[in-house]
Amino acid sequence: MPRVEREANVVWEGSSARGRGALTAASSGAFGGLPYSEPTRIGAPEGETSPEELLAAAHGACFAMSLAAELTRARTPPERLEVRATVVLDEVEGHGHRIVESQLAVRARASGSDEAAFAAAVAAADGGCLFSNLIKASAAVTIDARLEAS
Amino acid sequence: MATERTAQVTWSGDLMSGNGTIERVGSGALGELPVSWPARAESQQAGKTSPEELIAAAHAACFSMALSHALAQAGTPPERLASSATVTFVPGTGITKSVLEVEGTVPGMDGDAFREAAETAKANCPVSKALSGNVELELRASLTG
Repeated sequence: MPRVEREANVVWEGSSARGRGALTAASSGAFGGLPYSEPTRIGAPEGETSPEELLAAAHGACFAMSLAAELTRARTPPERLEVRATVVLDEVEGHGHRIVESQLAVRARASGSDEAAFAAAVAAADGGCLFSNLIKASAAVTIDARLEAS
Repeated sequence: MATERTAQVTWSGDLMSGNGTIERVGSGALGELPVSWPARAESQQAGKTSPEELIAAAHAACFSMALSHALAQAGTPPERLASSATVTFVPGTGITKSVLEVEGTVPGMDGDAFREAAETAKANCPVSKALSGNVELELRASLTG
């Protein structure tokens, strides 16, 4: 299989407490010049993204693709998946700030699937989602997934 | 106190021909951003972001902030840091590597001290810690001007 590389760029000016950064999706150009800063990373976001928010977007997108693949494998491709990902940054005694958790809330419509098949697909999707596997060494991944009536 | 950041994603259809959207994020800074498997796994991106690009963005952002913090603590805050992160994804294997590159403009600092500060930031930023153990992390750091 081919290697895929994806790049993002940052320009940062000034010290951490008062400085500011600007973020660009260099490979796709999907977003550019997004501002971020330390106060809005830790406190109220005030319209600025943060590393943790970007990881939440990455995890949500990764899990949605993984679950779509598993439901398709079970011959019940989803009409619609909704994934809400929440990444938690916390101060851990002796370790400074750490990403401690990523919570996924999933709502799915997939004609022909049932509770047992859906639960199996969710478990397989968690095992197959690259991002889930990446962060499990250091952070908890929790999943609340429900199959809704089609 | 813990800080939470959220993102909401929808997906319709199977993996290969279906489509997803990063609908919104808690801050409102991003969205709607389309995603798809072909754009993620092949060279045809058509302007679509991917989980790996978002991880690269998170890593470059986290690293730059940690490095500015370390430089300020050493009494030499940066005028400017230009950083990038490149994340490698091998379909079927996983996310294997993140390469950080930084060029700094830091008055009063020499190249060795800058590289040392950059190594510390690479090791300690929260995104590095979340990825480490599973992903190879590389760093290239240099001073300009």
